[in-house]
Amino acid sequence: MTDTTQPLLKVRDLKVIFGKGHHAVSAVAGVSFDIFEGETLGLVGESGCGKSTTGKALMRIVEPSSGSIELDGTDLAELKKGGRQLRNIRTRMQMIFQDPISSLNPRRRVKDIVAEPLDCWKTVSGHERDVLVSDLLSKVGIDPAVYGNRYARQFSGGQCQRISIARSLAMRPKLLICDEMVSALDVSVQAQILNLLEDLKAEYGLTLLFIAHDLAVVKNVSDRVAVMYLGKICEIGPADALYEAPAHPYTKFLLGAALEADPDSPIHSQVLEGEPPSPMNPPSGCRFRTRCPKATELCASEEPMSQEVAPGHQVACHFPLSITRK
Amino acid sequence: MSVTPEKLLVVNDLSTTFATAGGPLPAVANVSFDLTRNETIGIVGESGSGKTVLSRTIMGLQPRTNVAVTGSVLLNGNEMVGTAESVKRGLWGTEVAMVFQDPMTSLNPVMRIGKQIDETLRVRLGMSKQDAKARAIELLELVGIPSPSQRYDAFPGQLSGGMRQRVVIAIALACSPKLLMADEPTTGLDVTIQAQILNLLDELKERLHMSVVLVTHDLGVVATRTSRIVVMYAGRIVEIGSTRDVFANHRMPYTRALLESSPKVSNASHTRLITIPGRPPNLLKLTQGCSFAPRCAYASDKCHQERPELQGADQPGHSFACWNPLPTTRGDSAS
Repeated sequence: MTDTTQPLLKVRDLKVIFGKGHHAVSAVAGVSFDIFEGETLGLVGESGCGKSTTGKALMRIVEPSSGSIELDGTDLAELKKGGRQLRNIRTRMQMIFQDPISSLNPRRRVKDIVAEPLDCWKTVSGHERDVLVSDLLSKVGIDPAVYGNRYARQFSGGQCQRISIARSLAMRPKLLICDEMVSALDVSVQAQILNLLEDLKAEYGLTLLFIAHDLAVVKNVSDRVAVMYLGKICEIGPADALYEAPAHPYTKFLLGAALEADPDSPIHSQVLEGEPPSPMNPPSGCRFRTRCPKATELCASEEPMSQEVAPGHQVACHFPLSITRK
Repeated sequence: MSVTPEKLLVVNDLSTTFATAGGPLPAVANVSFDLTRNETIGIVGESGSGKTVLSRTIMGLQPRTNVAVTGSVLLNGNEMVGTAESVKRGLWGTEVAMVFQDPMTSLNPVMRIGKQIDETLRVRLGMSKQDAKARAIELLELVGIPSPSQRYDAFPGQLSGGMRQRVVIAIALACSPKLLMADEPTTGLDVTIQAQILNLLDELKERLHMSVVLVTHDLGVVATRTSRIVVMYAGRIVEIGSTRDVFANHRMPYTRALLESSPKVSNASHTRLITIPGRPPNLLKLTQGCSFAPRCAYASDKCHQERPELQGADQPGHSFACWNPLPTTRGDSAS
C-alpha cells in the first residue's frame, strides 16, 4: 500500500531443507518478498509447493536453513531458538492454522483459550483481563456472556476459527499469518470468516500473510499475490493485475484451471499436463520447465532470475508472457 | 427388467433416517429426481446437507442397522430399496459404480493397484487371470496413467493423489457401469489435477455412454459439467433445474446465498462477500417449517410454520421449495 516506506516484514532468500544428504528435501528453496504495513500478501500454490512451510518458517515453528526474516528491522532468523528475544518478537506476529478444531484444546473453556496469551505474558490481569477477553470474543461475533464458559469441543468449525482469531489478536500483533484458514469451512461460513478478517484487519491495523490454495479466496483478500511452485516464488504482483494478465506460464495454467461458478465460463481447453516433480529431485534451471510448453534449453541450463515486468510485478521466467492489457 | 426404461435412474420420495442416541436423524427426506441416459446431474450442498447419504442410498450402501430407508430407487428398472444385498451385488459394478472422495482410503494400501482392478474383473465378469490383467492395463491406460504395465504392480502409496483417483475411476469403470456415482471426486486435489480428472470423467462419459451423478460442495465443479443441478439443504431438495436455470434464474434464496457467498476469480480483490448468518441446522432439531427459514432474509411466519413443497417455476423441469421465492429476473430482486 505504502510503497515508499520500509516493509514491515522483509524476507530474503529463505530456505528450509528437511533431512540430510540425498534424503534432503528443499521445501522452500530461496524465497524473497516484502510485506508492507497494512497490506495483505496472498501466497498461493498447489500442495507441496512450500507455502505452509514458508509461513511456519517465518514464525520459526520450523527452523529456516538459511536466509533472513526481518520484522521491523530485527532478523528473526538470527535470534536464539527458544530465547527471550524470539519470545518477545513473537507477540508481534501470530498464526492461524488450517484445522480450527484441532488447533484449540477441546477441554478448555473458550475464555481461557483466548486469555492464554495474556496469562503467559501477564500484561493484564483480573478484571481488566476479563474485559479484554470479552471484548475480543464480541469482536469475532461470539457472545462472551453466553459462550465464554463453554468448551472448545462444543463449537463448530466456523466458530472455532472465530475463537482462533480472537486468541491470535489478544497480544495485538502487527502481522497475522493465516495458513489455509478457511479451506475446511463450508462456503457460507467461509464468506463470514473472510468478511470478519477484512473488518478486523481495518480495525486493528493488521498486516496479513494469507496462505491458501484457493485462487478466488486469495484474490478476494489480497492486495498483492505471490505464486509459489516447488519451493520458489515464480510470480509476485498486485492481485488484480496478476489475475488479469499473468506473466508466468504456471500462473496462467493455474488460473485457467480455476473453476468459476458460472455455466458460461469456458471449459478447460488448456490443461496443465502431468504433476509437480518431487522436491527431492527438482529439475535443473527453471523448476517449472518439465511441464512448461514454452521451455527451451536455456530453461534447463539456467535458473531464471526475478525480473520486473510492470511496477511491482515480478516474474521469474526466461520467456514471460506479454502482460499488455486487452 | 426386460424392457429398457427410458430413464436410467428414477428416485421417488426417498428418505433415509438414522436412529441415533439423540433420536431419529432424517439425513435425506422425500427426495425425488430422475436421470436420463448419458446425462450428468450435479448434486450440490454444504456439509451435512445429505448429498453423500443420498448417493450412498442410491447405491444401496447404507449400513445394515439403525437406518430406515423408504421410497424407491429404480436403477435401470431394478429396485434398490429393500433389496437383498446378494441381489444388489449383482448390480454393483455393472449397473452402477461409485468413485469416493478420498482416493487414499478407498484403495487397499497393501495391495498392488493392478490386483485391485483384477479383483473386480475376475469376480464380476469371471475373467481368467491373463485376460483380467490385460484388461486392467487397458483400463489404466484409459484413465490416463502413464506406463500402465509398470504401474500395474505399484502400491497406492507410490502414486500421487491424482493418480490414485484415476485408479479408483479405473476400478469403477471395470465392469462398464451404466451409472457412475462420483462423490466429491476432486475434493482434496489441486486445481490443475482437478481439471485433469474432471476432463477425464467428461471424456469417459461420452466414450462409454454412461450417466454420471456428480456430488460436490463446489459450484464451480458443476457449473460447466452438468446439464441439471439438484441443490440440497438439510436433507431435502430445495431447488432443481437445468444448470443454466439454477445459476441464472434461481428462485430459492438459499441457492442465491450459496452462489453469492463463494468468492470469484473474476471479481476485483477486496470484493465484499454476501453472507448469510448462522450455519446449517442440526438435523435432530428440525422445525416443522422451512429448514432454511432461520437464516433466510425473506422468511415470513408461514416459513416457520409450514414446510414448502417443490413447485414448478417458469421453465420446464425447474422447481423450487420456497414460500417467498426470489423474482424471476435477477435485476428485479435488487429493488
